[in-house]
Amino acid sequence: MGHPVPTTNAMVKTLESELAELHKPLLRFAQLQLRDEAMAEDVVSETLLALLEKPEGFEGRSALRTYATGILKFKIVDALRRRGREQPIETADEQSLDDAIDALFAADGHWREPPAAWPQPDRALEQAQFMAVLQGCVDRLPPRLGRLFMMREWLELSTEQICTEMDITANHCGVMLYRARMQLRECLDVRWFGGAR
Amino acid sequence: MKLRLSCQEMSRLLSAQQDTDLPAPDRARMRLHLVMCEACRNVDEQMAFLRRAMRGLADEPPDPPAPPPGSAG
Repeated sequence: MGHPVPTTNAMVKTLESELAELHKPLLRFAQLQLRDEAMAEDVVSETLLALLEKPEGFEGRSALRTYATGILKFKIVDALRRRGREQPIETADEQSLDDAIDALFAADGHWREPPAAWPQPDRALEQAQFMAVLQGCVDRLPPRLGRLFMMREWLELSTEQICTEMDITANHCGVMLYRARMQLRECLDVRWFGGAR
Repeated sequence: MKLRLSCQEMSRLLSAQQDTDLPAPDRARMRLHLVMCEACRNVDEQMAFLRRAMRGLADEPPDPPAPPPGSAG
C-alpha cells in the first residue's frame, strides 16, 4: 500500500496555510525594498493572489517560498518602475553623500586613507549576521539610491533597463551606482570588516 | 591620452566596469594602475565581493520570528 493521495481540498488548505506563514516574511521583504507600507502591502497582496489563482505554477519546479519570492521580485520591480518616474532629479542626501565620497580623496586624487584588504570576505557570506549588516547598510543609502542599487544588483536589471525605467541618463545612472557602491564599501568596512582586522 | 589615473578616477572606473564593457584604453590604464596601487586592488576586489554578497542577500525572505512560547495560534 502506498501513501494515501491527498484530496484536492487538503492540498488547497496546505497551500493557504503555507501562504499564511509566508505572508509576514514577504511583507517584511517588500517593505525593506520599497520602504512604503502601503505599496509593500499591495505587492504582497498581488503576489499571494497570483499564487492562490495559479497554484499549479510552482509545483515540481521549486519550493513555494522560492517561487513566491520570484513573483514578489517582479511585483517590486513594477512598483519601483511606477514610482521611479515620480522621483526628483537629485536629493539633498545624495548630494551630501557625493561630498562625503569626494572627501575620501586628497586634492591630488589619492586615497586619504588607502582602503585595506578585507580578510576572508567570502566566509562572511555564510553568516546570517553579515547579511543583516549588509541589509542595514543598504537601508541606510538615500532612498532613491537604494532602490536603484537594488534594481541593479538584486533584481539584476541592466543599466539600460534602469535608465529607461527611471528616466535618467546612462551617465547619471553610473554616478548613482558609484555613490551607492562607495557608500556600501565604506559601511561594510566600518561595520563588519574593520572589526576583523 | 593621459596614461596615469588617479585613485579617484580609478574608483569611478572600478564601479563602471561592474555595469558596462569599458573601452580598451580605459582597461589598459586600469591594469597599469592596479599593478601599482594596492588600495585600488583592494577596492576592485571589494566591489566584486559586494556584487556576490548582494546576489546572496535575501534571495528568499527570512523566517518570521518564532512566536513566544505559550501564545495562542
